[in-house]
Amino acid sequence: MSTPQQLSLGVSLKDDATFDNFYAPEGSSNEQVIRALREQVEGAGEHFLYLWGASGVGLTHLLQASCHNAEARRMAVQYLPLRELTGFAPEALLDGLEELDMVCLDGLEAVAGNPAWERALFNLYNALRDAGRLLLVAAPQNPRELNIQLADLRSRLQWGVILKVQPLDDTDKQQALMRRARERGMELNEEVASYIVQRVPRDMNQLFCYLHRLDHASLAEQRKLTIPFVKKTLGL
Amino acid sequence: MSSLREELPSQQFNTWIRPLKIDEEAEADRLRLLAPNRFVCDWVCEKFLERITELAKHYQDGPEFSIEVGVGARTAPRTSRPAPSPAAPVRQSHTSNVGANSERPVAPPPAPKPAPSPAPETDSGVEGGLKHKDNLNRGFTFNSFVEGKSNQLGLAAARQVSENPGGAYNPLFIYGGVGLGKTHLMQAVGNALINKNPNAKVIYLHSERFVADMVKALQLNAINDFKRYYRSVDALLIDDIQFFAGKERSQEEFFHTFNSLLEGGQQIILTCDRYPKEINGLEERLKSRFGWGLTVAVEPPELEMRVAILMKKAAQVAVDLPHDAAFFIAQRIRSNVRELEGALKRVIASAHFTGRPIDVELVREALKDLLALQDKQVSIENIQRVVGEYYKIKIGDMLSKRRSRSVARPRQVAMALAKQLTNHSLPEIGDAFGGRDHTTVLHACRKIKELEEEDADIREDLKNLLRSLTT
Repeated sequence: MSTPQQLSLGVSLKDDATFDNFYAPEGSSNEQVIRALREQVEGAGEHFLYLWGASGVGLTHLLQASCHNAEARRMAVQYLPLRELTGFAPEALLDGLEELDMVCLDGLEAVAGNPAWERALFNLYNALRDAGRLLLVAAPQNPRELNIQLADLRSRLQWGVILKVQPLDDTDKQQALMRRARERGMELNEEVASYIVQRVPRDMNQLFCYLHRLDHASLAEQRKLTIPFVKKTLGL
Repeated sequence: MSSLREELPSQQFNTWIRPLKIDEEAEADRLRLLAPNRFVCDWVCEKFLERITELAKHYQDGPEFSIEVGVGARTAPRTSRPAPSPAAPVRQSHTSNVGANSERPVAPPPAPKPAPSPAPETDSGVEGGLKHKDNLNRGFTFNSFVEGKSNQLGLAAARQVSENPGGAYNPLFIYGGVGLGKTHLMQAVGNALINKNPNAKVIYLHSERFVADMVKALQLNAINDFKRYYRSVDALLIDDIQFFAGKERSQEEFFHTFNSLLEGGQQIILTCDRYPKEINGLEERLKSRFGWGLTVAVEPPELEMRVAILMKKAAQVAVDLPHDAAFFIAQRIRSNVRELEGALKRVIASAHFTGRPIDVELVREALKDLLALQDKQVSIENIQRVVGEYYKIKIGDMLSKRRSRSVARPRQVAMALAKQLTNHSLPEIGDAFGGRDHTTVLHACRKIKELEEEDADIREDLKNLLRSLTT
């Protein structure tokens, strides 16, 4: 059986990240985050948004959903997962991006503290601002806590609307899991969902990986998602 | 595209393939893909072009056609979005698969170009760099600038310069920490000059831009155009001059530009994050010249001014911000004006989403993550440690019964800061300082407040300590 890490790629490929499949309970602060993201792209909100939150809260999902949303409006967007781009020359990678309508930087922490990257991001920030373009940034920490050495960059990061993406509580995680299951055509009842949430690591990425495994197994064995089946499949 | 999507991990797909646009103006026998910049273009060619070509052949039964990748952001004129300027597509075909190289000239073409017209354009919305562009933000005016004790000297100097450019205050050198309004002041002068004389040729730019433009000019053998351009201005405003550090060729060029402007009685305004003499990696001759005119400092804004800034910002966007709510924000956000503005934007967003009016309660909720962070950062232990290091005394001494002045004064400073920066009660603070009574804490706070008014050294100490504890 594949490991969850490998599966996670499959999951993100299959379930395209959209605002609709991001579980944000009504009236929650995460719902505000989605509204802020929508308004940003619609041109009604701030030009610069900074999202932060613990691993697994869905920062990457939100950034990609916002990219899709922008593309649907025929905007030119570039999404950059900085964690995977640390080996590149920042000047070259970021050059000229202010010509686009929007730039999304995911995983800012990966390059924080690197002088060349910080300088290049500082220049990109200024260029985007001068050109009136949109910038969306995500990191696990608030700009204050992030290890940014260049004070000029740090204060600019503090200039935008900074929104914390909150982790879901266990009830909401259960709901999110049930909804994702429904979207994939699986029937996952409350009892079973609660069983899963209480027994596996409760990071949303991990939970969806488990769901993915259950999806495959239930298709292969033509079984419904019952507690005994879940127990056996996930080896709980 | 959907085939590639299944083949590639989603991160790779999202990063490299998704941003590609089809150039709709290319001829029918060609499929031209546009990448957002040179780098993405090179990368796609190197890693994916072969596969894209294969797939295209697979799906296309018709006549042979070629695929190429170029650089360009726009595929078709877009009218739906009120973007500031629909910049023309920058076209540059891919010629070889060279890797990352930041030295190579990249699109778009370099901005500096001599502006021969006697009446230069000052339209900041025109892109493309062929016309003179002042780069000024029209919102940065003297009217929108909030005056306070910490910046009044800078403001007075800037006003003087705007009334008498090229006069005694040349260059005007404004220095201070980040986010304190240096750029605003500088641009206010530029805007005032243009208001007074719409034909005035004013250029604002960041020092990194000056360097980048110069590098491009050198590569394109256009350095003489570059020189002529920058020497022809009435006022040259360069921001964050500290970024010139270590760039000798740029310093050399700037040195000559600087001299030429000064001789011609053209105004120069520079900003920097520190005093000229303290800029490491800058030539001595530049440092000394920077001091020839007037050097003024802007300091972090005091509480009243932070409140005033918030009120003004809120008024600008027609948001009703009660004074007590502004006060609440200003008390808690001390580091710089950008963070203050960011916090206000966050509060306005919350009010907007919840439909509630802004009051202290809403502010508390909107900023709770930020404030929690602050509470966490500024603990009594933290204050004791920072104060101890500052005065070079041991924590043990601070908590001891010793009453010699060299220990007692720092202890009082630490107590006063603990009261100011934490939510602990006075008895709790007393406890944390070796089990002292809360009246001792109270006495310390009064004493320090008194000293702050009459003793410049203590005032300076407090300012430094506050800054290192809250930023």
